Amino acid sequence: MKTNKQNINLRELFRQNLEFAEVIPDAAVKLKLMRRVARKEFMRFNPARLNIYYLGGILITGITTAVILFSGSKNFDRLNPLSIPGKINQSDTSSYIEILTEQPISVKHDNSDVIHKESIRSKSTIRIPDKLKGEVSKTSQSDDNSPHFPTVISNSFSKNNLFIKVTPVTKKLQSEFKTNAVLIDPSSSAGCAPLKVHFHNNSDSYDSCRWTFGDGGYSNQKDPEWIFDVEGEYKVVLEVYNHDGEYLSSTASVTVHPRPQVRFEVAPEKAVLPTDEIRFMNYSTNAVQFKWDFGDGSTSESFEPSHTYKKFSKYNVRLLVFSDWGCSDSLTLFNAFSGSEYSIDFPNAFIPNTQGPSGGYYSSKSDEAAQVFHPSSIGVSEYQLKIFSKLGIPIFESNDINLGWDGYNNGQLCEPGVYIWKVRGKFRNGEPFIKMGDVTLLKN
Amino acid sequence: MMSDQQIIELCAKHDRKAQQVLYDRYSRLLLGVCLRYATDKAEAEDILQDSFLKIFYSINDFTGSGSFIGWLRKIAVNTALTHYHKNLKYRYHIDIEEYVSVETGVTSFEENFFNADELYKVLNELPAGYRMVFNLYAVEGYKHKEIAEMLGIDTNTSKSQYSRAKAVIRDKLEKLGKLKSSYSENN
Repeated sequence: MKTNKQNINLRELFRQNLEFAEVIPDAAVKLKLMRRVARKEFMRFNPARLNIYYLGGILITGITTAVILFSGSKNFDRLNPLSIPGKINQSDTSSYIEILTEQPISVKHDNSDVIHKESIRSKSTIRIPDKLKGEVSKTSQSDDNSPHFPTVISNSFSKNNLFIKVTPVTKKLQSEFKTNAVLIDPSSSAGCAPLKVHFHNNSDSYDSCRWTFGDGGYSNQKDPEWIFDVEGEYKVVLEVYNHDGEYLSSTASVTVHPRPQVRFEVAPEKAVLPTDEIRFMNYSTNAVQFKWDFGDGSTSESFEPSHTYKKFSKYNVRLLVFSDWGCSDSLTLFNAFSGSEYSIDFPNAFIPNTQGPSGGYYSSKSDEAAQVFHPSSIGVSEYQLKIFSKLGIPIFESNDINLGWDGYNNGQLCEPGVYIWKVRGKFRNGEPFIKMGDVTLLKN
Repeated sequence: MMSDQQIIELCAKHDRKAQQVLYDRYSRLLLGVCLRYATDKAEAEDILQDSFLKIFYSINDFTGSGSFIGWLRKIAVNTALTHYHKNLKYRYHIDIEEYVSVETGVTSFEENFFNADELYKVLNELPAGYRMVFNLYAVEGYKHKEIAEMLGIDTNTSKSQYSRAKAVIRDKLEKLGKLKSSYSENN
């Protein structure tokens, strides 16, 4: 039965064999499923079977709703109907990457035709959004004739994040108010999402100002800070008002680049170190550049590298990816090859069969009577068990995990009492283990 | 013997008997689908349970146009994808046992060298991401564009993962083939 495997179309092979393949599920699956259905059925609202639980549920819900509505309507009365819901900014404190950005920023004024260029070197810490850190406070104005700034948003952030300065300059406002037209070309600034931008209002004197950030957020602080969470181009508008209600506006644009997303897997999933060649499967998106750190001092910049480790140890594998725009993301797989599911444990007593030596091979039947001393283990590949008497004389030795001690030495049943055991070996992933302890031989 | 139509109508009324009949009739086929997307049989059975819960509680969504089996399969595949997304990055692989599987006899591949059990084993051992793409493209017959949307990846990523998955599978099959032919020679 020799086949030319190259001629087999893999797609056909799998489709024809597996598309309508049937596998018999365990009988327990049906039981579990029907139990879950029964539970769901009980929780399902069914007017035909309205019972005391539902009645209770409806009563509680009704009361709660009534209470909420009652207290809620009271609160709403006090709120200014003009208030605009402010956008809450996000910042994060979990994983972070440090990058250095050099951001050239140019600001151009129509009036002066001067282009300012400044370069701001900033050490930045980019955090992935996780917790809300913003506070929103609301104030409202009672005077309906003046411009409305109903929402004041103050954001308090944990330390200094990505920091780019945009400076739409509206100096000498008072004189410019007369000329009535000050348009400022958008000063370009860009960065990676989430991008924290500090805006500076250079106006000399004014009564009030209002920022709109282009993503639905507002502020009327003088120098607000804003975080753009989502990629895109934003038009930031600053309006400055004097006491007569006249105003001046200037705009700046902020470009927020998308952040790449790093994802990878290690194959084979149960690797044996150092024997196996480890392949790294890369599922990152939006990324063009890759930096692997295998945790043993070696690195790679290829898309899906392979690597062989020299010895078994705890390795943290880290992948750092960069997008076209230099935005980065990283993921560290801590202790990537740990055999956390591997174990070996010994009982502390057993009762040998007095009928004669059993040879040490154990079964579930001999385990019921605890006749053979042996470990319960998962994932053991190499194994050596030694048993000593209290005087340190070796009594028993086994290199086979399936062979335990039946309590006999040279065909003679050993005396009841305490014996010392020592085990050494390796788990399937190459991790070594050594354990010691004592076991009590009991008399039946 | 109830027809599918009768079962669907009764299931829509949450008839417990009809649900059991539905399970008995299609669980083997759907587990066959789920197993292709899982690392082992236990995981496949979890997916199967979730699939049937979805089937029971959204049977009203089945419009009657198109085949009922096709609809069931689609739900199983979607549930498997949900599981994959949930377990991404944190999956551990467990050795697979021997499956009891029934060939439906619809096809007999000329070069019937590998049986369904072996092909399942090969799929189960694939890295999860490759397994998803390979199943969706090769067996389910989705287009790369659709797969990209389902998995939230780029179309090109789907294509390249498919070709890499093929390479890994071919590698595994070749090893398995050598093992098998040496085994049959010895006997």
